[in-house]
Amino acid sequence: MRVAIVGYSCLPMSRDIGLTREESVFLSTKMALESCNLTRSEIDTVVSASSDFYDGRTISNSMLIGALGAYLKDESKSEEDGLLAVIYAMQRILSGTHRIALVTAHTHSSIFNPHQISRYMLEPLFDRQNELLNDIVLSALQARTYMRKYDVSEEDMAYVAYKNLRNASKNSNSVLKVPDISVEEILASKVYAEPIRELMIAPTCDGVASVVLASEKVAYEITSDPIWIEGVGVSVGNYFRDRDLSKLESLQKAAKKAYAMAGISEPYQELDFAEITERFAHQELMIYEALGIAREGKGKNLLNNGTTWIDGEFPVNPSGGALSGDAICATGLYRLVEAIKQIRGEAENQISGVRRALVHSQWGLVAQKNVVLIVGGEV
Amino acid sequence: MRRVAIIGCGQTKHGRRTDVNQAEMVSEAVWNAIDDAGIGIEDIEAFAVGNMQGFGGIAHPDLIFAEYIGAVGKPMQRVATGGTVGGSVAHLGYYMVASGMYDVVLATAWEKHSDSAEPGATTGLLHVAFANLSYMFKLGMDLRSFAIMGLAGAAAGISAYQAAQYLFRSGCKIEHYDMVAAKARRNAAKNKYAHLRWPNCKPEDIAKTEMLIWPMRFGHVCPASDGASAVIFASEDAVKKFGIKEVAWILSVAAFADEENDQGESYQGTGVLDYSEQIGCVLSAKKAYERAGIENPRKEVDMAEIYSPFPHQELMFSERLGFFDEGTAWKALEEGVTEIDGDFPITPSGGVNATNAIGSSGLQRVLECALQIMNKAEEHQVPKDVRIAVAHAWGGQTQFNTVTVLSDKPKRW
Repeated sequence: MRVAIVGYSCLPMSRDIGLTREESVFLSTKMALESCNLTRSEIDTVVSASSDFYDGRTISNSMLIGALGAYLKDESKSEEDGLLAVIYAMQRILSGTHRIALVTAHTHSSIFNPHQISRYMLEPLFDRQNELLNDIVLSALQARTYMRKYDVSEEDMAYVAYKNLRNASKNSNSVLKVPDISVEEILASKVYAEPIRELMIAPTCDGVASVVLASEKVAYEITSDPIWIEGVGVSVGNYFRDRDLSKLESLQKAAKKAYAMAGISEPYQELDFAEITERFAHQELMIYEALGIAREGKGKNLLNNGTTWIDGEFPVNPSGGALSGDAICATGLYRLVEAIKQIRGEAENQISGVRRALVHSQWGLVAQKNVVLIVGGEV
Repeated sequence: MRRVAIIGCGQTKHGRRTDVNQAEMVSEAVWNAIDDAGIGIEDIEAFAVGNMQGFGGIAHPDLIFAEYIGAVGKPMQRVATGGTVGGSVAHLGYYMVASGMYDVVLATAWEKHSDSAEPGATTGLLHVAFANLSYMFKLGMDLRSFAIMGLAGAAAGISAYQAAQYLFRSGCKIEHYDMVAAKARRNAAKNKYAHLRWPNCKPEDIAKTEMLIWPMRFGHVCPASDGASAVIFASEDAVKKFGIKEVAWILSVAAFADEENDQGESYQGTGVLDYSEQIGCVLSAKKAYERAGIENPRKEVDMAEIYSPFPHQELMFSERLGFFDEGTAWKALEEGVTEIDGDFPITPSGGVNATNAIGSSGLQRVLECALQIMNKAEEHQVPKDVRIAVAHAWGGQTQFNTVTVLSDKPKRW
């Protein structure tokens, strides 16, 4: 049995969305159902994604049941990236218990700074006592380790941000719209932790996105244009202290699983584009390598020779990626929604003739947990 | 549909566990489950995890101790749903196997309340609460709303309202709550993993304790425990492959959410007013029985593990789960029907009223039902033959319920 994505929605990401969590989740849920002409009564199960720490309230889904349309329905909440809620909803459908599932993910970063919460992800008795540590500092350590080992320069990192921000300027969902930005300006932006500069950090923001999933049996009754989930891969790596920061081993494993499930042996040849979650600019290059579309240490070549640009052979982040807006729990779903739009030919920064995409998201400090989805339209 | 069984159970001693940190505590339960199943860590394909992260003061603690539980390099999925989280983790583990994606999944849920009592190092819950308050002020909510929220008094506060509502709804007396609490502590005395163990505890002993907020006495309130539980789910193929003889099959799961209960401050204007109504529980049970092919729960089910941090909830949920007619659970209690050696034992482990490590509590209900079916509950094994058991968990703003139906035989389709 296969599972299809039959509907989707997302609100434009914003530094301050000006709506309560209940209001914005309700809007996104409603829009997603309308996108596939379903009503609440046809939904069998609802899986949301949010996090108590990022939401600033305990049991973060408790106030959202009405807004999600989940009252008196079989419901649960994934407490991590929305792509993992998609996988859980998919498992619920594959079990044969449910036919149609709604997935909604949100984070309102305007409530308070998500980078502050990264300190609560540190091991409390030793690491958290070191006041210098947070997600930005750790990513700087990761960047330095990677740069030293493979001779990657700050210009290469700035070039990642340059590519993604140019794409973002054409995406009405993005937060950071700087169409005339130059590499020099990125390199001159404020230093947060050497070599990480302001425009190399995914800007945290408010966002909500939803998708509607359906079993193979009912998918065609809902839409003539289903997007199939062909492969799924999840892998968790070691806590940052106990792993080699110069590579993303857990992503390699997640990608391998997803490729095997989708029957892909040559990802570069068999996939048309990718939407990935690069919370910091250097991570995009590391992700190319872990996904097997670039050889070890050669990620920068794909960027510098134009391959991953919008008009290249393997475009990455036509939406602008996480560097154009990072709504934490919803970021994976924003990547997925962009991939759906590209495949259906509905995207604003459209790549022509694409059918199959890789969607990636990460969770935890310096990309400890990684998720890969392979999605494709009709053959 | 794939058949799914529980092939291994592990838990820690629950109580104040200052001898271990969160990582060590969870791995204790995980390795106990792996030993119990008689398989190796390499046989576990994926992990289902969950706790209420604010209570232990660590955001996503499972990432810190992924290596301790052997999850590195493997898929791990996390859920969190409030008090129900352990039940939700069990459902996640079940669905991960039932989907056909994995054959063997380890589910673990835990809480280490004593950590968040240490100021400075782990002020997670406080942090979570303050963040929401600042947001409320930003939205222009006044101090009156803040005061009402404070008066709600968290889980015990809401439950006191619920206990009062149930008194009127069912016609029972506070003395019946004393009887349930005494039964919980007596049963816990037979369970070596439990927290508040009180051999021969009598209702009069509970009645002597201070009235905290009418109708709730100190002796009615659950402890804040530290502890972890772990359960291994396996497909029918894996059960055959490992040649495991003692298993408990999952017949069905269901978890219907309701809207939050109105605590004097309705965010959406639609909150539930009678906290003892529990339509979500009624619907979860109905759906779970329908999926399991059970028509008469009182006759076909042999025992239940009900999530009742406060004693009125055991009576209330035993009605909502369809074991007794509305307003009659207290009569069954008086007749001794729900005792360990009764006709329909309820929570022979002592349950959440005697041991409450939030995340662990929901999963422990499923684990205890599995132990009873496999005849491995040792001193608190019920004398009657257990073929079908029901595990329940409750949470959220008294709005979430998870129901799991277990059996000694796989489901027939």
